[in-house]
Amino acid sequence: MAETSTGASTVDDEDTGLRRSITGGQLFFYTLGDVLGSGIYVLIGLVAAAVGGAFWIAFALGVTVAAITGAAYAELVTKYPQAAGASLYIKKAFGSTALTFLVTVSFLSASFAATGSLATGFASYFATLWDGPPALLVSLVFVLALVVVNFIGITESVVMNMLMTFVEVAGLLVIMVIGIWFIAQGDADFGVLADISVSGNPALAVLAGIAFSFFAMTGFENTANVAEETIEPHRNFPRSLVGGMVVAGLVYVLVSMAAALTVPTDQLADSDAALLEVVKQGILPFSTDVMTTLFSVIALIAITNTTLVTIVTQPRILYGMAKEDVVPGVFARIHATRRSPWVGLLFSAAVVAALLIAGSIVVSAGGIDLVNTLALVTVVLLLAIYALVIVACLKLRGQDEDGRTYRANTPLLMVGLIGNLAILGFAVYDDPSSLVWCAGLIAVGVVLFLVEYAAGSRNRPPGARRGDPEAVSRRDA
Amino acid sequence: MHVVVATDGSPQSLAAARHLTSFADPAKITGISVVAVLRPLASVAFADEISEAEHHEVGEGAGSFREAAQRAVDAVAAVFDGWGPEVGKQIRSGSPAAEIIEAATEHDAGLIVMAAGGRGLSDVILLGSTAQRVQHYAPCPVLVVRPAPRPRRATRHEA
Repeated sequence: MAETSTGASTVDDEDTGLRRSITGGQLFFYTLGDVLGSGIYVLIGLVAAAVGGAFWIAFALGVTVAAITGAAYAELVTKYPQAAGASLYIKKAFGSTALTFLVTVSFLSASFAATGSLATGFASYFATLWDGPPALLVSLVFVLALVVVNFIGITESVVMNMLMTFVEVAGLLVIMVIGIWFIAQGDADFGVLADISVSGNPALAVLAGIAFSFFAMTGFENTANVAEETIEPHRNFPRSLVGGMVVAGLVYVLVSMAAALTVPTDQLADSDAALLEVVKQGILPFSTDVMTTLFSVIALIAITNTTLVTIVTQPRILYGMAKEDVVPGVFARIHATRRSPWVGLLFSAAVVAALLIAGSIVVSAGGIDLVNTLALVTVVLLLAIYALVIVACLKLRGQDEDGRTYRANTPLLMVGLIGNLAILGFAVYDDPSSLVWCAGLIAVGVVLFLVEYAAGSRNRPPGARRGDPEAVSRRDA
Repeated sequence: MHVVVATDGSPQSLAAARHLTSFADPAKITGISVVAVLRPLASVAFADEISEAEHHEVGEGAGSFREAAQRAVDAVAAVFDGWGPEVGKQIRSGSPAAEIIEAATEHDAGLIVMAAGGRGLSDVILLGSTAQRVQHYAPCPVLVVRPAPRPRRATRHEA
């Protein structure tokens, strides 16, 4: 012992830095669960309304563009396996602090909007089970419950995540089985699948559908959060991320075909809980009531799974920004025992609640449809970020690479970039008012930035903004 | 005897490590492993509150929770500098309680040292703290160090 009793005796365990916990399979299901819940249950009616019976084409194209974007993410993640995501890539590629800040705020805003949209979708499906409470109350309680669950840390269970994903997939399998059963009975009219029943330019109609269906693919970028803890990220990340997206896309196309075959397009378009209409057709030889209830529960779980991830991500982004001194340091506050960023969580809940209430007031005053607008707001912001990420991916070629770096196909990335910009252009052209909503969300971020700037915390000594003054003094003691 | 010292990046975990040095006989400790556990699916996978803060550029900071965990582990390991036993460092990933227990099993540890969870309502009613779960399932004795009681301002006025 005497020989080792010097200060230099500190040695690392041989496995330091190699203990990672997320396997490729877990990452695949994480991606699948995150993507699957986000839109199909909520938005399939809107896509059907925009395109007509051929709306599966919109899903197929939207999914393709999203998967290509996923490939760009995969390449960047294998180079920079950190939890920061898009803002890190933009910083590396362009070196501009202002642009990086804008991207972070946009992403955060998009995440808030997505949460709002998902909460509204949750309320729609909930109403089919129990019509008692008002939709606004249901969505508010839903968001609040998820914030509490996140604070406690239940969301951290990998097993829980897998279970919820299996339920989601099961729900969509039910729809596909209904479709196959229907075809087997010989009642299917395949002409519907080629029907673009919208007046005006069919290409524009499909583009509108893509903009909506794209929302159904968002969420995949959240997988960058777990990049650092993925086993063999160079091999597993591209496979699991792009693989998860392609499988999700395939499921979407099949589900939308089944929906188009079994339910008249107008009926899908008018429904708040469109997939439920498919179940309600009573095509399978089971009690329709039982099937409807079962499916509603599945839909609620699916939406919950995706919303949970968005609510995990928001405080994480705020935490990162607080550490970088661009938002007030209070957002980096960690609860002493739960180790959760409780201030960030509360802030997320407050913003989403405000968004839901504001939207509800607009609707009751005879204004626009809340889900629709929130979904488009999300898409506009995310499309801009996705396009930038692809550019960043191309710009960073040749830097920080080694033999194991995954390399996405360059012509494909070009196609993805053009696709993202085309959808972005259309989304803005179709509904210029979404720009106002975007501006509102970004304004929240700018206000945060100004508050931080005015507080002058940049001049504080390191460690002085750790939040708990007692903790600091105890450390010094 | 091998000792596993767990840190979650909190000042309390640093105090727990110091508490060990305040009474234990370093000659009887064959080795120390300082263990930090990242929670990849949590909002903040690891929060380091004990090492000196680093300034980050916009877009780059706080991205690496692994680096945060490394800094926390280094800060706790520094407590044992010159104390005697050989100090190893380990960063794991997963559920904190399960990983701490696994680290203790792997090292055939004779003692786990960690900070207490809170005494708040959330811990009692809902799920219990990491410290509680480790105590229940650990393969060896567990030293749970409670934070010092808060100094009361009222007492100071009277004095």
